Amino acid sequence: MMLPHREQMLLLWLFVQAAVTVTWCFTDLEPGPGVGAGFQAQANGDRFKIEGRAIVPGIKTQDWVSTARVLVEGEEYIGFLRTDGSFAVNDVPSGSYVVEIVTPAYRFEPVRVDITSKGKMRARLVNYIKTSEVIRQPYPLQIRASGPHSYFMKRETWGWTDFLMNPMVMMMVLPLLIIVLLPKVVNTNDPEMRKEMEQSMNMLNPNPELPDVSELMTKLFSGSKGTSKAGSSSSSSSKGTRSAVKRR
Amino acid sequence: MGKLILLSLKFAILFFTVEAVFEDQVGKFDWRQQYVGKVRFSHFDTHVQSSKKVLLATENNVFAAVNTRTGELGWRHVDKTGPEGNIDAFLQYGQDAVLVIGNGRLLRSWDINVGGLNWEVVLDSGSFQSACLVGQQNTVKQVAVLKKAAISLHYLSNGHQKWIENLPDSETVDYQTVYSGGNGEVYVLGVVPHSHITVVAYSVEDGEIIKQYLVEAPWLSNLQVSCTVVSQGVLTCIDSATVSLYTLDLHAQSQMTQMPLQTLGLELAPGFHPTLVSSQPNPSHPPLSEFLLQLGPDHYLLLQLNNGHVVTLRDLKPAMLVTFVTTGDKTVAAVMSPKNRTACSVNLFSVETGRRLLDTTLIFNIDPNGGKPEKLFVQAFLKKDDSVGYRVMVQTEDHTLTFLQQPGRVIWTREEALSDVVTMEMVDLPLTGTQAELEGEFGKKADGLMSMVLKRLSSQFVLLQAWISHLWKLFYDARKPRSQVKNEVTIENLSRDEFNLQKMMVMVTASGKLFGIDSNTGSILWRHNLDNIPANAAFKLMVQRTTAHFPHPPQCTLLIKDKDTGLATLHVFNPIFGKKSHITPPALTQPILQSLILPLMDQDYAKVLLLVDDQYKVSAFPSTKNVLQQLQEMASSIFFFLIDSSQGRLSGYRLRTDLSTELIWEVIVPPEVQRIVSVKGKRPNEHVHSQGRVMGDRSVLYKYLNPNLLAVVTESTDTHQERSFIAILLIDGVTGRIFHEAVQRKARGPVHVVHSENWVVYEYWSTKSRRNEFSVIELYEGMELYNSTVFSSLDRPHAPQVLQQSYIFPSSISTMEATLTEKGITSRHLLIGLSSGGILSLPKMFLDPRRPEIVSEQIREENLIPYAPELLIRTEWFINYNQTVSRVRGIYTAPSGLESTCLVVAYGLDIYQTRVYPSKQFDVLKDDYDYMLISSVLFALFFATMISKRLAEVKLLNRAWR
Repeated sequence: MMLPHREQMLLLWLFVQAAVTVTWCFTDLEPGPGVGAGFQAQANGDRFKIEGRAIVPGIKTQDWVSTARVLVEGEEYIGFLRTDGSFAVNDVPSGSYVVEIVTPAYRFEPVRVDITSKGKMRARLVNYIKTSEVIRQPYPLQIRASGPHSYFMKRETWGWTDFLMNPMVMMMVLPLLIIVLLPKVVNTNDPEMRKEMEQSMNMLNPNPELPDVSELMTKLFSGSKGTSKAGSSSSSSSKGTRSAVKRR
Repeated sequence: MGKLILLSLKFAILFFTVEAVFEDQVGKFDWRQQYVGKVRFSHFDTHVQSSKKVLLATENNVFAAVNTRTGELGWRHVDKTGPEGNIDAFLQYGQDAVLVIGNGRLLRSWDINVGGLNWEVVLDSGSFQSACLVGQQNTVKQVAVLKKAAISLHYLSNGHQKWIENLPDSETVDYQTVYSGGNGEVYVLGVVPHSHITVVAYSVEDGEIIKQYLVEAPWLSNLQVSCTVVSQGVLTCIDSATVSLYTLDLHAQSQMTQMPLQTLGLELAPGFHPTLVSSQPNPSHPPLSEFLLQLGPDHYLLLQLNNGHVVTLRDLKPAMLVTFVTTGDKTVAAVMSPKNRTACSVNLFSVETGRRLLDTTLIFNIDPNGGKPEKLFVQAFLKKDDSVGYRVMVQTEDHTLTFLQQPGRVIWTREEALSDVVTMEMVDLPLTGTQAELEGEFGKKADGLMSMVLKRLSSQFVLLQAWISHLWKLFYDARKPRSQVKNEVTIENLSRDEFNLQKMMVMVTASGKLFGIDSNTGSILWRHNLDNIPANAAFKLMVQRTTAHFPHPPQCTLLIKDKDTGLATLHVFNPIFGKKSHITPPALTQPILQSLILPLMDQDYAKVLLLVDDQYKVSAFPSTKNVLQQLQEMASSIFFFLIDSSQGRLSGYRLRTDLSTELIWEVIVPPEVQRIVSVKGKRPNEHVHSQGRVMGDRSVLYKYLNPNLLAVVTESTDTHQERSFIAILLIDGVTGRIFHEAVQRKARGPVHVVHSENWVVYEYWSTKSRRNEFSVIELYEGMELYNSTVFSSLDRPHAPQVLQQSYIFPSSISTMEATLTEKGITSRHLLIGLSSGGILSLPKMFLDPRRPEIVSEQIREENLIPYAPELLIRTEWFINYNQTVSRVRGIYTAPSGLESTCLVVAYGLDIYQTRVYPSKQFDVLKDDYDYMLISSVLFALFFATMISKRLAEVKLLNRAWR
């Protein structure tokens, strides 16, 4: 009795979900008169002017001023740059503002400008975390571009040197060289030499009880399937030891 | 050691999720179109004969220079929106352009060559009336600005004020016009409506009043509308009540002389308000003695004032638009007259004689999907034989600018309506004809096995043929240089590509013009201008049927609602071709409160649109029997909500079987304390791939994925910075249950919200710390899922766990949206429109309330980034690199056929389209994939094996011999 009822419910709810998600509101939500009123009240106070100059070292001002704007606290107040790179943002009431120069080509650091109700100005570094910290900057503002914007990532290019200097390749190539070259240099048929080499090998492997990785693997895969679980854990441990060896 | 490895791993992951544009990808997938808006004032740069600039001052507070050869922007300056940046007047002299801005608040001078500011001065308060250039002895040195109660004179070179004088009796007299004829005097003309004209003449030198007198004019109410100064300072007025021309010599202090139009043999069109147009080619000289009189909607007269007598030089009828234009010392009148229903012709007339100049006809074809010509701007130049040549820029009612030259060749067109896109949708393109035919095969009824097989074989053959021809074309094109290969996109060869990356962008603009734009190239494929759009209309665009239901054409429905009356109309059209559908939408007689698209389909696969009117009655479109029956069956499970922001009321309704509605819940937000700013639900086409998140200890934290969840943002009505706050409510849209409320004290809007999956991200302004802040809310079900098969709002007993975290954002933002992909596997990014014009792609990973302050082993395993209060803005994350987008109003995201790829359109003053890959391109080869390397390695290996095989054989042979 319960089940069919439940299924029906589920189906219904599938539709409800869809119905409500597509429901979209057509009510006009616009900032009402409240904001405007607040602004009006401020407008009665004195208005001030933020002045300064922007410099892009080594570039003629004519080449970049037409794309630049001075933004005071976002787009709350906007100024434009004169042909000599200086600027003035008019009609700014007292308060504290972040002034930034935006151009698509060059990067300028923003500056915080404080204006008292009497019109005294000061400029300081922008610090959004410690907002009251004061590190003075010159006023009228002198903003120097810190270089062009970097918009692009560098493509990874492929070169022989990069390839050869890759640690993985080095690790592969060196043992290969040893394997190929060593038998030619040293006469392996000499029994004395063979003994010596065995000794040195033992020196390299200080822990004779530790199972050899390759041996372990062969044992694993040739062995019964039931031990596969143990195998996975041991292989991971062997990897660990290998990496440990490498790191040393 | 393990820690080290983990750390390095994490850095690797962090590094790889950083998505950026490569320099060689510039312009490959993206395009930008820049606009200026509807033109209010325009001047051609004439101070150098070879100049190629036209200056445009627009209603969107933009001042720009457009190259007349290409129609592209030279430079553009975007001022504040609203009345503070409004351009009141535009005067041009030489290479200086003087603008009066913000109801006479600012006076700005631009260097039009460089595009930089010469100077900017603040004017005294008072509403702006008029401005003019003041010249003397062939040079113009000052500009006069007339305000309600004062007149000031400024130097053109540096903006300094020469003098300012209060106007006499400014309380009673309405000063409207300022005039200077280059004789060292500035005339200010004021009117006391239906009584007299006041004339005040100031000395340019020191601002002293030279003379001041009154002239009786009981018929006059507005100087600017019905009067103009012609000839040697003769004020000429037209009055429709007395049907007369009046003239007054400003220098002579005489009375007005009346000239009834009848004595001139002229007749006024009934009910028409006549106007006068004069021309003053050089501000240091008096205006021409010839002027234009408009007597009817298509009737102009070229008149001449000759020793106090008015002589008709030319009767221009029919004439839609007439304008004076001067080049060198020649002034001509350009007249646009209708030719036939689809074309207009422009002709030049000599001003002195009124004769038509030979070989000056230009044909302007009217776009049937556009509007009528509205404004005419003429660029005249002297040809080598001293005759006048010209080009015209025509602005039509749909805000289109067309620049033409003789005999009618269009040099460029700018669709300025696109500067104000309101809403848009991306629609999949249809399949190609052959593919569609193949699809159509399945829909048809079977007619025998043999014929079916034959049909299938033949259609496969057609496909093969198409494929081979495609290959041939590829091969053929590959041999040609890249610049020559042009794939012109036209409406005929539109078809879906393999990965559905190319779509049709349907854009709705505020002026009521609809556009269909190809998303790959940005070319406009169709345009359609809607008539009778109310000035404050709200638009909502819905896709009722996609292209998936061949042979039924795709169908979009645009709901156009008058904001004042609430009355709405529907426009149904085909989004691929822009043609109006033959389906007649229902006439809506009642104001519409809400509209919703249901997932139900009628027998023609069109989704059902429900419209709720102010009587809470519901009507469906399409409303066939089939649909109504389905609706009746489904009614009990269809819920919707309404918002009344003025009363702060959110209410939820349920549909009854008789299509009436039933109120089931109501939430009141006290409107005197806070007001509802926005309500955001989730996007219906959003997919969530993973139900939960795997924690460090391998347990799963399940997401709370309620598709009915609404995020309601409210702002306090108190805007004082100590008491203002914003709040966000998470409400279930079906039950009205409030899950969570977050309040940010000492914060104010504008609040930007993104609501998706199980998270809400919002941005606000913190008034206490004076910075922008982001906050993220994530909802989790917990370690267990209540009902994993289906979600029901009514059957979820446990409230979700709410996690929240906030961050500092070092820039103000204009809009915000989240990326969207086909299956939701790809990680999400937030696309943030910054005020600098950049569009930042910020990984959602940085906005995660589980970002820890203290890092532990388990958290590292989860790849959580340790908490840092400030979010970084890296310019490498700008998806639009240096292609800034001004005044971004919206960002539209759409999934493509590739899971890794999300299509993005940012619109505002400009339109920018691109693709983003939030988790890099994991499902296709990257475009820098090194085919050469991989094939050379393969070949090398192949040959190596061959050689070594041979060597081994030799060795074996040698050993066998030994």
